Formats: sequence, structure tokens, C-alpha cells
Amino acid sequence: MQAVATKLIDVTEANAERIARQWFADVRKNPKTPSYHNLSEDRAIPQAVDFYTKFRGVFAAKNPFEEARRVYTKYADESYRYGIPLHEAIYALTLMRRHIWLYAEFQALFISAVEQQQAVESLNRTILLFDYATYVITDRYQELMRGEVDKQLSALRALGMEDSFTGSKVGIMACLLVACGFLTYYYHAVMASGVIFTHLFYIPIVLAGVWWRKRGIGVAALLGLILIVSHLIFMKEVPLTDDLIRAIMFIVVSSVVALLAEGFSRIEVLYRTAPHAGASVET
Amino acid sequence: MKGHATKLIEVTEKHADRIAAQWLGDVRVNPKTPSYHRFSDEKALSHAVAFYRSFRTLFSAEKPFDAAQRFFTKYADERYSEGIPLHEAIYALILMRRHIWLYAEFQALFVSTVEHQQAAESLTRTILMFDYATYVITERYEALMKRETEERFRRESGAGGRRQAAGPPPK
Repeated sequence: MQAVATKLIDVTEANAERIARQWFADVRKNPKTPSYHNLSEDRAIPQAVDFYTKFRGVFAAKNPFEEARRVYTKYADESYRYGIPLHEAIYALTLMRRHIWLYAEFQALFISAVEQQQAVESLNRTILLFDYATYVITDRYQELMRGEVDKQLSALRALGMEDSFTGSKVGIMACLLVACGFLTYYYHAVMASGVIFTHLFYIPIVLAGVWWRKRGIGVAALLGLILIVSHLIFMKEVPLTDDLIRAIMFIVVSSVVALLAEGFSRIEVLYRTAPHAGASVET
Repeated sequence: MKGHATKLIEVTEKHADRIAAQWLGDVRVNPKTPSYHRFSDEKALSHAVAFYRSFRTLFSAEKPFDAAQRFFTKYADERYSEGIPLHEAIYALILMRRHIWLYAEFQALFVSTVEHQQAAESLTRTILMFDYATYVITERYEALMKRETEERFRRESGAGGRRQAAGPPPK
């Protein structure tokens, strides 16, 4: 096999650019690879050239699966980045393989009976590599899809502090509530002013909504109560209307945040249990 | 090719159960198909037997892509509903193909030079079928994943209000 393999590899390597261009002309109009119809030459051709120049390494590797994993993981990463769907990425690779053989046939590489026999062996080896390639690319795409979802959800999870110890959320909230209570006392009792310090109350309100969803509305209710009671004790002569409206707004904002947080949470659960996450088998 | 193809098809059809059993022995221990390690014998065997029995239709179809689309769409639907991940469903199919050839070699189906030439043609035809199979299965899985996710979203948004009262969905 070595001789014919070398022959095949030599021809593929020496004519990598030419084979890549023939492949590109194919994927450009093939109805099974529509994503390549608009893919720029600058992106597609180097991918194919890279494949053909690395053909020797994969073909002659002692551990073909490991080598295939290394090479085709990169192919999967690139294709995924270019927004090519999995079935098209695999079909494009299939076409790359076919173009090696089309070129070899065109060059009349295998003529004699012995060469024909060697061609079968070479074909078998190529097919083995492509079996591994299909496995590696499919597996990698699923991994990339999961990674993308994780990345998109990470900002939300960071805000939700879902990986943090529950006690730290309670501690932070307690500190914020004490600070809000102190602010209320200071402005109402000491300054005797209704100046809008309550904007700061939205920090614990929003955090409580994100962390505890509907139960977080309790924090808004508590802050509203503190505001109204403080007003009734320290600012009897000033009408209650403004603070009453502020307390109502606390509840409204808190409810909206809680609803949004629950929606995001459901989306996350849906993605986590989605089939691309490598579902467990039901026997 | 016709004569040789008939030989290969006949052996595959005739020994479908035996080849399927050999395939099962392989996927049961293959590290690339862990989902099949816990799969029931009966169910797994039915996958392979169905494929080997349909081999003639797929192999000799005038429009191989259409034939592959029909058969492998069903294959993808079944594997998907059984919870087999895409890369394993495809690899299990690849192993089905390999076991046809292992069996054919074991039966010394291709001995003479002419037979070798015919074997190469048959191999090319089989590979074409599997290229289509991979394409169809992958595309179908993507469509099924998308559909399932959309349905879940619809169900969730419909039951959203009721679900919220009952607390967060189970993880």
C-alpha cells in the first residue's frame, strides 16, 4: 500500500491548490452545500488546501483516529465559525475526498491490475479516515453548540450568581437593606427631605428579582413598607403621595424583573435539556 | 457491476441476522458508541437487520439519493426518538457498513482479479450510499433538534404562567 499511497499523497499534495479549486467550483453550485454558494474564495480555498496538504499526515498516521481528531477538529471549528450547518460541512468534506479520486483518475494514476488492487487498499484507508472525520466533526459541532449556549447564558448566570454560595446572596441583600434603611432614616429624620434617594433602592430590588424571582418581590414590598412607615413617622406634614407612588413602582419593577428572570431561567433549562446536549439514552 | 452487486446483496440479505449479531457485538464494546452499551439487544439488532434487509433497495436504486433520503430519514427519526446522539447514530451506521465487508471478506467473496475490480466498484457504490446517508441523517437530526426546541418553547410559553406558580422547572 505504501507505494500507491505515496503516489496518491504526492499527487494530492503537489496539486493541492488545483484540486481545492475544482472542489470549490463544485461546492459553489452543489445543491447540498448552499452555505458555500456565498462563501468567499479566501475562506473556502485555504480550508481545502489545508486539508489536502495535511492528507499525508492523516493518511500515514500510526494512530489515525488521534490524527483525524486533531485535523478535523480544526476543520469543524472553522466551518462552525463560518456559520456552515453540520450536514453541509460534512458533505463539503465528502466532496473534498471525491475530488482527490477524481483528480487521481484524471491523472490515470491506477492502470495496471496491481495498481487497481492498491487503489482499493488506498480507498479503504481513505474511507477509514473519513469515517473518523465524520465522527469527530459531528461530535465537535455538538460540543461547539453547547459551548455557544453556555457563553450566551454566562452573563445571565454571572448576574444571577448561580454558582455562588446561597449564603453570600443573603448577606449581600441584608447589607443592602440595612443601607437602604439607614438612607431612609437619614433623609426623612435628619434632613427632613423627600429628595429622590430611593433610586438606590432599585439595586437590591433588581438583584432580589434576579436571584429569587417571584420571592424577590418580598424585598421590594419590605423597602416600600420601610419608606411609607418612615414617611408617616418622620414627615407627617408632607403628603404621602410621592412615596406611595415610589413604593408601588418598587413592586412593579420587581415583578417585571422576576418575570424576565423566570423566562431566562426557562430558556436556560430548555437549552440544557435540548437534544444537542448529548441526550442520555432511554433503553 | 450488476453480477457482483447481486452477490454482495444476496450474502447481506441472506445473512442479515448473523451480520447484525456481529455488528451488535462491536457496538456493544466500541468506545465510540457508548449509548449502545446499555441498549437492549432486541432493539439494537432490529436497527441493523432493517438496514441489511433494505440494502438491495438502497444499493440498486436508480435514484440513490432519493432512496437514501427515504430510508435514512426514518433511521434518523428512530435513533433520535431513542435518544442516541448524532455522532453515535452515524458511527453505528458506519460499523454496519464495515460489517458487510468484513462478512464478505470472511466468505471469500472476492478472490479473482476480476472480482477485485468488481469489489472496487461495489465499494464505491456503497460509499456513495453512505455519503448520502450521513448527509440525510445529519440534516434530519438538525431539523428534529430545531423542531423539538421550538415545541418546547411553545409549550413552555403556553404553560409559563402555571409553571411559575409551581416554582422553577426541574433541572
